[in-house]
Parts: sequence; C-alpha cells; structure tokens
Amino acid sequence: MPLLQTHALTRRFPGVLALDQVDFAAESGEVHAVCGANGAGKSTLMNILSGTIRPSSGTISIAGRTVSFASPANALDAGVAIVYQEFSSIAELTVADNIYLGREFRGRFGMVDRRAASEAAADLLHRYGIALAPDTYVGTLSVADRQLVELARALSTDARILILDEPTAVLSLSEQEKLFVVIRTLREKGLLVLYISHRLEEIFAIADRVSVMRDGTLVATREKSTLSSAELVRLMTGREIAGNTVPASVRNDRRTTLTLDGLAEDGTRLELREGQILGLAGLVGAGRTSIAHRIAALRRRDGFSAMLGGIPLPDDPAKALAAGVVYMTEDRKRDGIFGPLAVTANASAASLDRFSLGGFLRLRHERTEAGDVLRGLRLVSASLETPIGSLSGGNQQKVLFARALLSRPKVLICDEPTRGVDVGAKEEIYAVLRRIATEGVAIILISSELNEILALSHHIAVVRHGRISAIMDNVGLDEHALLVAATGAGEYQAAQ
Amino acid sequence: MSTMTDSLWRPTRLPSLEEAAVWIVLAALLLLAGLTSDAFFKLNYLTNLVRQAAPVGITAVGVTFVMLLRGVDLSVGAIVSMSAVACALVMDGKPENLWLGILAASACGALIGLANGILIAHGKVSSFIMTLGMSIVVYGLVQMGTGGTARGIVSPGFRETLNSRIGGVLPVLVICLLVAVSFGVFLQSRTRFGRSAYLIGANPEAARLAGLPVNRVTVIAYIVSGLFAGLGGLALLARTGVSGTNPGAGMEFDVLAAVVLGGATFAGGRGSVGGTFAGVMVLFIALNLANVAGMPFAAQLIIKGLIIIAASAAHSWIGSRSGGRS
Repeated sequence: MPLLQTHALTRRFPGVLALDQVDFAAESGEVHAVCGANGAGKSTLMNILSGTIRPSSGTISIAGRTVSFASPANALDAGVAIVYQEFSSIAELTVADNIYLGREFRGRFGMVDRRAASEAAADLLHRYGIALAPDTYVGTLSVADRQLVELARALSTDARILILDEPTAVLSLSEQEKLFVVIRTLREKGLLVLYISHRLEEIFAIADRVSVMRDGTLVATREKSTLSSAELVRLMTGREIAGNTVPASVRNDRRTTLTLDGLAEDGTRLELREGQILGLAGLVGAGRTSIAHRIAALRRRDGFSAMLGGIPLPDDPAKALAAGVVYMTEDRKRDGIFGPLAVTANASAASLDRFSLGGFLRLRHERTEAGDVLRGLRLVSASLETPIGSLSGGNQQKVLFARALLSRPKVLICDEPTRGVDVGAKEEIYAVLRRIATEGVAIILISSELNEILALSHHIAVVRHGRISAIMDNVGLDEHALLVAATGAGEYQAAQ
Repeated sequence: MSTMTDSLWRPTRLPSLEEAAVWIVLAALLLLAGLTSDAFFKLNYLTNLVRQAAPVGITAVGVTFVMLLRGVDLSVGAIVSMSAVACALVMDGKPENLWLGILAASACGALIGLANGILIAHGKVSSFIMTLGMSIVVYGLVQMGTGGTARGIVSPGFRETLNSRIGGVLPVLVICLLVAVSFGVFLQSRTRFGRSAYLIGANPEAARLAGLPVNRVTVIAYIVSGLFAGLGGLALLARTGVSGTNPGAGMEFDVLAAVVLGGATFAGGRGSVGGTFAGVMVLFIALNLANVAGMPFAAQLIIKGLIIIAASAAHSWIGSRSGGRS
C-alpha cells in the first residue's frame, strides 16, 4: 500500500481545469520527483496535498486512511509538511526559535523555555544529519543554511511526507549538494520526499521515481533508471509538435535599433532590428525579467551595455523611456494598472509630455489619440471613463498596450503579455504584437509559454542564470529543442 | 458591455456610488436641517454657515492633493496659526503693508510645505511623522514670534473687506472659498500635476515605470497643501481677528475629517476637490445642527470624531463592494 495515494483528484479554477482526475501514488522511503512545464498542475497538486487549497472532487489517502484537509494545519497533523521556495524564517531569531516558531516550549508560568527548545532542536538537527548549531542567529546564516532551517522546521512537526517546492532555485551547486545529503538521510529514515523541480540535472541526481504532469493530468510515473532525459522532455512537452508557424521574416532594409554587449555568455553582441521580435525563453527564475529590467534601466545595468540607434541608452528609467525603450510589466496588478483611474488616464500615463502643454493637460487631444489606439486594439469597455480595475485581464492588458504604443516606442519589452488572459484575448494580443512589429518597433518578448515564443519570434534567446546562453534563428525549432536548451538537458546528456 | 460601439466614446458617464456618496449625505443633511429649523434655508443663515467654513474649506482643498498621494498633512493647523500671526505682525496696522502681509502669510505656508515635501519625498520620512513633527516645530516658531501673547494688528480695511457682503448678500469670504475650490478643481483635472498626483497615488510603482517624476510631484503637493493652509490662515484672521497665539490649533482634524468625508483614502488615488468641498459642508452642517439642538461643545467633538470613523468605514465598504481594487 502506498503511503500517499490520490484518487481522481480534480481542481477547477474559473475557466481552467488545473488538475484533471489525477491518480498519484508514492511510497515511504523514496524521493519522488514531480516535474512538468509551467502551468502543468504541479503547484496545484502540492497545494492540495499541503491543505492550502481544497480539491473540487477526488480524495487523498495517507497510509490507507482517507483524509480531508481544510487547512495547512490539518495537513501538518496528518504528517504532510511543505517547504516553499520563499523563506519565512526570521533573521533576528535563532535556529531553534525559528524551528519552533509558533509552537514555543512553555516552562513555568507560561514563560517561553528557550533552553528546552534549544535542546530539542539540537536533537532534531542531529537526528537528520543537519549540521547547524541551534543557537546561531538565522540572519548570520548562508542562503543554503536558511533553507535547511526551513527544512528542519517542517521535520519538527513529525512529518512523514515532505514537499520541497523548487528547493534549489536559490542555491549554488555546492550548496545544492549539501541539501541533497540531507534529503538522502530523510529517505533512509523512511520519509517520502516529494521533490518539485523542472531542472532535469537535479531530478536525475536525487530522485528514485519521477512523475510527469502536463496540462493538469498525470502523464506518467517512471523509475529513474528506466528514463532518459530525452524521454523526460518528450513526456513534459507531450504533444507531437505541430507545424511551427514561423513569422514572416524581417525585411532586409530594416535598421538595427538596439545593441546589447556583454549579455551573452560567449560575449557576442546582440543586435535587434526594427520590426524584429526576439523571444526570451527560459525557466521561471532564469533571470528573463531581470534582463528586461536592466535593459529598461529599471535596475542597475551592471555587466552589460546597451545602445539605442548607436547612442548609449541612458541608465535613468525615465530617460530610457523617453528614448523609446518601453517595458510592459509581467504583473499588471502590482506595477501596471492604476486601478481606480479611468481607462484614458491609464493609457496616457507614460506620454503626458505629449498630452500637456506648459503644465496644462490637452484633454481633447488625449481623448482622441487614446481613443483611436484603444479602438485599434479592440478594447471592450463600457466607456473611456470606466476605472481600469473593473475590466477583465485581457482588456487591462490592451490598455497597457495602448499606454506603450502612445509613448511611441522604438523597443517594446513585453513581459508575459498573455498571463492571466483568456484564450480569445491571447490571439488578439498575438495579432497586436505582430502588427506593432510590422510598424517597425523592435520587440523583446518574454513568455513561459514556449508555443507563444515559437509562434511570434524571429529569433529566440535562451536565458539561464541571468545570462543569454544561446541565440537561435526560429527555423525548424520546436518546444522540445527549446526545453532542452532551457533546462540544460543537453549538457546533462553530454556529461553522461 | 459592448464592443467598441459608440458608447465607448460617450464623453460622460454617471458618477459611481463612491463619488456620489458624500453629495447624497449632504443632500440628506440639508433636508434634515430644513425640516428641523425654519431659519435654515434663509439666505443669511446659509451664507453665514459657508462663511464659517471658509478657513477649514480653503485648507482642505490643499490637503486633498496630499491625500491623493497616499500622504497626510497634520501640520496645516500649525501653518494656519503661523500664517495668521505672521500676517498680523507684518501688517502692523499699516495700510501700506496689506499686500506684504498677505504675501508673508502665503510664503510661510508654501515654505513649510516645501520642507515637508522635500523630507518626505527625498528623505523618505513617513508623512504622518514628518508633518506631526513639523506642526510642533511650527507651533514653537509661532510662540517665539509672538512672545506668548497675541500681538500684531491687521491693516485697516483687511477684515472689513473680507467680512463684507457683496450687494449686502454674498459674503466675500464665501467667494474666496469658492475661488479656492474652483482653482483646486482646475488643478486636479486640468493640469499635469493633478493627473500625476492621481496616477502616483493610485500605484506608485506603476507610476515609476511610466516615467512620472514621483518625487517632484510629491514636493509640489506638499507646497500646495502648505500654501492653501496659509490662505486658510488669512481667512481665519479675517473672521476672528488677532485672537491668541494659536488660532489654528486642532484645525488639522477638522480638515482631515472633511477630506476623508469627501472620498479620499489613505490608500491614495481616490477623492476629489469637489468631494472635499462637500465633505466640509457636511461637517459644518452637522455641527451646526448639533449646536441648534443645544448639544454642548463636548458632544460636538464626539460627533466630529464619529463622522470621521463612519465616513472612512462607509468608503471602504463601498470600495470593497464595487471591487476592482488591488
């Protein structure tokens, strides 16, 4: 009998079937990797297992007993603990304090008994072979050690099932090995470790079995020994690759607008011509947004230099914007939309220079121009005065496109332009991107959806560890090839 | 919702419940006042009420811009005091000093606002702490300037002109208030500064990405707030004369109450000068009604406090109901 078993686990979100009839099983004493592309359903599954969200239907059983989690606390009681990518430890407290945070040892008169906590922590750390002193302040620890503190906290709840969500995202290679040593100890102690990752090297290094998810379903569960990395990639991308609709090539008379030096690993210069779409492919956390921010001068550009039309691009964000480099955010809510304000005010926000004269707004001029652009983008809204916050995600994105277009960009950086947008609106946004490009704007497209990158880009740059590791012409490429490049699976095979 | 029909290009739309709320309350209060007292709708009574509201109303116009930017200005009470005292001292009872006195009062307000703005925008001091501290500093300065007793004499004609009624009906102070409000509305909806204040207040991070000069707009907003408080001080001086060394004490709370009533929130990006004006009127009519009903001053204070709390709660309730807010 497997330690953990799910039956027909399903989770619906509005408009999306995030998890579809998943029957997943895992044994105690194994490291079980769960992998899949972005949006495959890994996180949804783990969130259900850890009690963060509830399934729409289906059941979970642990050691043969059916369980139902109303909250993460329920899951902890049943022996399921999760360690997230983000750290939640408190730097000003000691290792022991952090491990027993919220569950402090009580001594006489209800006072916190720190000595008892320290002794218990020492015992726990020793048992699992974690080399940390319980009385060290967490703030003085390295990133890897802080991760171990998180791990120890999860273990202190007597968990039988430990979920690690992208645990190495923030670790260097040597730190990673330290973590793996601990994970192997956990396996010997009979724990089930669910290991979420999309880095193939790691999966092959640590896992006993691998489950692959795709589009909300569990595609396969395999013994690592029977799996090759090429096979794993094929399972992750799944569908036989359809004919790749390569965009029309850029006309030869287009001039180079943006040149970037020092961004590629091999030191080559990156040139972007007018009308060209450059796709940035890479895994979440590979540093695509960081590259976009640095080009647009939203953070320090250390390490590379950018020229626009032969002139160095200013490293002040407002000046870079004025020069024609426009960054469209990946997080509309956080730093994109002005929620309570009208559609027009949202659209004109980056071009008030043009819509004002001597400090006074030219309201009619603003209305006409914004209206024209928004009409071209087929905005659906009750009126131009409607607060943007009440529009759908796709329409909000169109208004952000209008903002970018009104500022007359030379280079437009679109970071995940179709995130949180429904399927119909996606197609419209693709059409907009193609049209903007034919009008002579150079576009840098960041997307986690490989098919999106393949359908739109003339060239594709693969980003790993914050640098560009390869640039490819989008000819004869498919998702498989991109995923191999993005995960480094090719290198793994070469090393074998 | 229709796709790109002509409705999209219709220039007007109905105000949202959020924007209309304070006007509905104002209408209800007016009705209540009319029912309880025959005297209320007499022109004299009404104009007198608005005249009383002038110092708070003028000051509140400026504070609206600070609140749009997620800030607060607690130093306006102190600025009102300083403005009134400085004006009287500079005028010194001489007719030729009339305009110099007015200029001095305005300059005091603008300069204190400038100091607030620079430290808040560039020094990253919280607006609450900054303006609270500044109000204590300014009270101190006023005490030093006066030596602790009411001093200074306004120029002849200053109070007479401002307290007169045009055609024997419309008080000049009411006109001053209306001019201040109109100027505020213009600043809010027709200038780049006003638009930027809304944008930055609604989402500072998005504003930065859109290349807006966040710090500059913040500094200007505090200057505007200080300047209007300076003008509010002049209105108070005209209404009450040289009375004590601290005539504006506690006024920041009346102003804050009015601005919050008018729809501004500490989350920024919401509210308007028009709403603030309505908020001022609601506050003064409510207090007036309490007065007519024979409530003691202490009870009026309680009403004032409850109004602030109720208005703020009502706005967040409406806001959460209409949704669409991050």
